[in-house]
Amino acid sequence: MDETDTELVHSVRRGDRRAAGRLLQRYLRACRAVALAVTGVEADADDVCQEAFVVAVERIDDCRDPAKFGKWLLQIVRNRARNLVRSNVGRRLVPLVDTAPAPGPSPAARVERLELRERLLGALAGIPEQHREVILLHDLEGWKHREIGDRLGLPEGTVRSHLHHARRRLRQILEDGGATE
Amino acid sequence: MSDLERMDFSALDPGRDPERWSRLMDATRLRVEAALADRAGATGALDILGAWYRPILAAAAAVALMFGAADAAIAGRGAALEGTSHARRLAALSDNSLGRGFRPSGAALMVALGSRSVP
Repeated sequence: MDETDTELVHSVRRGDRRAAGRLLQRYLRACRAVALAVTGVEADADDVCQEAFVVAVERIDDCRDPAKFGKWLLQIVRNRARNLVRSNVGRRLVPLVDTAPAPGPSPAARVERLELRERLLGALAGIPEQHREVILLHDLEGWKHREIGDRLGLPEGTVRSHLHHARRRLRQILEDGGATE
Repeated sequence: MSDLERMDFSALDPGRDPERWSRLMDATRLRVEAALADRAGATGALDILGAWYRPILAAAAAVALMFGAADAAIAGRGAALEGTSHARRLAALSDNSLGRGFRPSGAALMVALGSRSVP
């Protein structure tokens, strides 16, 4: 049976590396989804996740409710991602697009995938940050409405509403050729 | 397409590039373990301080006791010297009174005994 967040947090406080590894496996993808929702850049999202996890371990004693470790961690991710975006304002020439190509079966497929990523990231930039978090955690990470509500501190109804509006707006943007408002 | 249908974000799935994802996991794990080691080090330093606290306090108490004893000894010696000078003054007063044939007054006795305020 999987250990609860509470058990893992207490183990990490005692210096248990294995418990820290379990939390990493449990939350790294979600952290990346939230970081990507804020930064819009995959490489930045990766950096933010790494930093946020290290900060979380360093400050694990500050996690007042270990049962809500996920919510606490995602808040750290969000804050660091926002700081990064603020520090990048004026420096980034091509926002919201990660140009590093992912390996694919052929150069053509890689170009196609890169274009799709650019379109998706461009479309995501056209909806509110919280909607981006909700839709990425639900449609990319497969979290349930209740899980998202717990971890983002939102009522389940609000999660459903954000998801509905996010999907509608994203489809609209993508149908219009990726133009953001 | 319905808004109830899941959107396809597979192009943004970090799992699409397992090598990159694995590098991110490994790098993060290494940094997390380093942070845990630092935490353990910091806790260890506190433990060492905690372990030393009582002996240091005991040593400080012993030193304070020694100084206190020395101080008390010096103060005692001073008291003895003072007592000697009182005795000497009393002896001089009685010698005078016997030699000159008068009884010392109360005030003279008080002065000989070291009282600063003479009633």
